[in-house]
Amino acid sequence: MTAPLLEIHGLSRRYGQLRALSDVSCTVRDGEILGLIGPNGSGKSTLFQCVAGVLPADAGTVLHQGSSLAPEHRKDVLFYLPDGARPWPDERVSWTLRFMEGVFGDPTGRRDRAIAALALEPLLDARLDTLSKGQLRRVLLALALVTPQPILLLDEPFDGLDLRQVRDVMDVLRAEARAGRTLFLSIHQLGDAARVCDRLVLLSGGKVVGEGTLDELRARAGVQQGALEEVFLALT
Amino acid sequence: MRSPDRAWLLRKELHELTASRAFWLLLLATGALVAHAFSDSLEVYAQASGAGGGAAALAQGLNPLDGIIVPTLGAYDLVATLLLPFVVIRLFAIEKQTGALPIVLQLPGRFSDVIVAKAIALLIGWMAAGMAGALAIVVWRAGGGHVHAAELWTVALGHLLRGFLTIGIGAAAAAISASAASAAILALAFTIGTWAVDYIAAGRGGVFARFAEYTPEAALRVFERGELRAGTVTVLLLLGFAGLVAATIWMREGVAVPRRARAALIALLVLGIAAAGADQWRWSHDTSEDRRNSFAAGDERVLRAIRQPLTVTAYLAAEDPRLADLERGVLAKLRRTMPDVRVVYAASERSEIFAAPGNHYGEVWYELGGRREMLRSTTEPIVLEVIYKLAGVPAPAASDAPAYPGYPLATTVPGAGLPFFAAWFIIVCVAWWLIRRPRSRRPAAS
Repeated sequence: MTAPLLEIHGLSRRYGQLRALSDVSCTVRDGEILGLIGPNGSGKSTLFQCVAGVLPADAGTVLHQGSSLAPEHRKDVLFYLPDGARPWPDERVSWTLRFMEGVFGDPTGRRDRAIAALALEPLLDARLDTLSKGQLRRVLLALALVTPQPILLLDEPFDGLDLRQVRDVMDVLRAEARAGRTLFLSIHQLGDAARVCDRLVLLSGGKVVGEGTLDELRARAGVQQGALEEVFLALT
Repeated sequence: MRSPDRAWLLRKELHELTASRAFWLLLLATGALVAHAFSDSLEVYAQASGAGGGAAALAQGLNPLDGIIVPTLGAYDLVATLLLPFVVIRLFAIEKQTGALPIVLQLPGRFSDVIVAKAIALLIGWMAAGMAGALAIVVWRAGGGHVHAAELWTVALGHLLRGFLTIGIGAAAAAISASAASAAILALAFTIGTWAVDYIAAGRGGVFARFAEYTPEAALRVFERGELRAGTVTVLLLLGFAGLVAATIWMREGVAVPRRARAALIALLVLGIAAAGADQWRWSHDTSEDRRNSFAAGDERVLRAIRQPLTVTAYLAAEDPRLADLERGVLAKLRRTMPDVRVVYAASERSEIFAAPGNHYGEVWYELGGRREMLRSTTEPIVLEVIYKLAGVPAPAASDAPAYPGYPLATTVPGAGLPFFAAWFIIVCVAWWLIRRPRSRRPAAS
């Protein structure tokens, strides 16, 4: 049996007296869309930051294909797109995408595909600080899609998008997964998570309270036919 | 993962720099300050040269280095102190402020590449600001003014290094602080701290005086005297580099704070030791046309041949003007010339100026080869005579090298002042518009 693509073991993180993550463990399988769900303040962003190595964990390890992955090497295999970032406000969309393409060295036309998939053509000459929240979200997703890492950690990828855009972005993400990329998404809208994710990790109070497919979680929660909301409420 | 194309990092930082209004305002303010300094110095120089109809100064006293170059480019000291830190902080803090630091931390290659790209972009920006000074010198030359290239480049190098030091300080302040405002306060506090060190050193001497040699103002004065001193250049480079190293270490937020603090302390300690070592590097070149930092060629030849150590013990307080005369007119030149010179500042307390007679105050002792001689004079020929006597060598024949002629210019330069600033203002505004001009397409509604 092959090792999971990414294994997270016992990650813990405190902010002073506040325990943001407590012994968090979960696995990310190759080519899947894994959803990280939980209420506000449950530690989703902290977990992503620790896994990406941009925030030090107090304890815990991350394994890549069975081998320990030091924080400074995590960027070699995964790219984390933070929530709430408004990068380089004075730059234009086209320049920002070109920069990411140039700095990561993209010979395969990922930038053009991202522009087409996320319908960014009309925004290319706009400065980032003139974009609406939804427009900026699509541009940030495009930045992530331009990167070459096999695993993407996207923090709230649907935040700020309208219904149609959410559906379109889900299609884009599914296509990305089909193309061989593994996606780990932090989503606070449970309905969205249920629609796009293959498996789910439920986080509450900095602890994992469940991991698996919706059916597995239903079984664990003892809910026969309920939606993810009911499963989540039963487990937390 | 592959190494990043570093040219892209530099292009991004140049983009960010030119996107910043602070940078363009710095350019405009620089133009105004240089224009004001240039106009003032031109007027004074012309009057001293007899333009006002009054008595002209002696031609030998009319030196473009002191009269035009130093005061005109002196505007950059003000810019480096009060304006440049804000531009530096903006460029180093932008990712922290906008939440984009995690993205930058995940770019391929080393994070230090990002910091180096920011520093290079800022140096390019600083050199662009230097074009205002270059324009002033061109106007001066066009009006018939004299320029000695070596001393001009020396002063320009001093301002370039001054800018690099500010970049280092601003980078460290931006990295350590949670916000740009806090970083600005920190950078300003550092500057005020160096002024305090200067002030204390002027009154106390000793360790403070040694330390104060490398405050930005004091270090700049070395270049403004037309002296290219290896120790000063190296220490300024190391101090600026120390700021960049501190920023590199501290902005890697994926590393635990105690580990970052330990790494920063070790790096600063190593660089501090290197700076202390560089302070001992005595190589220096006098680039001034009037050789103000050197003895006459014949004297230098004889002094260089004296291999025994010379010990000078000065019973003069730090704020005593006689010590300043001795330092500038004799000791600095001796350090540049003789292979082994040791200076003991025996009266470091200011109260000794008012001490009772009999405590040696005012005496300067010269010791060489086991023989000692005391002088109260700080005049170069008298001191040299004593050194030759102690060394048992004959004084060289009087130099027949031509004396510095001086370069009076009694006419004011047309085109200086307001037109100068207007030209700079237009150049900067046009460049700003060309770089940041709006594109035709507008963002579609989300």
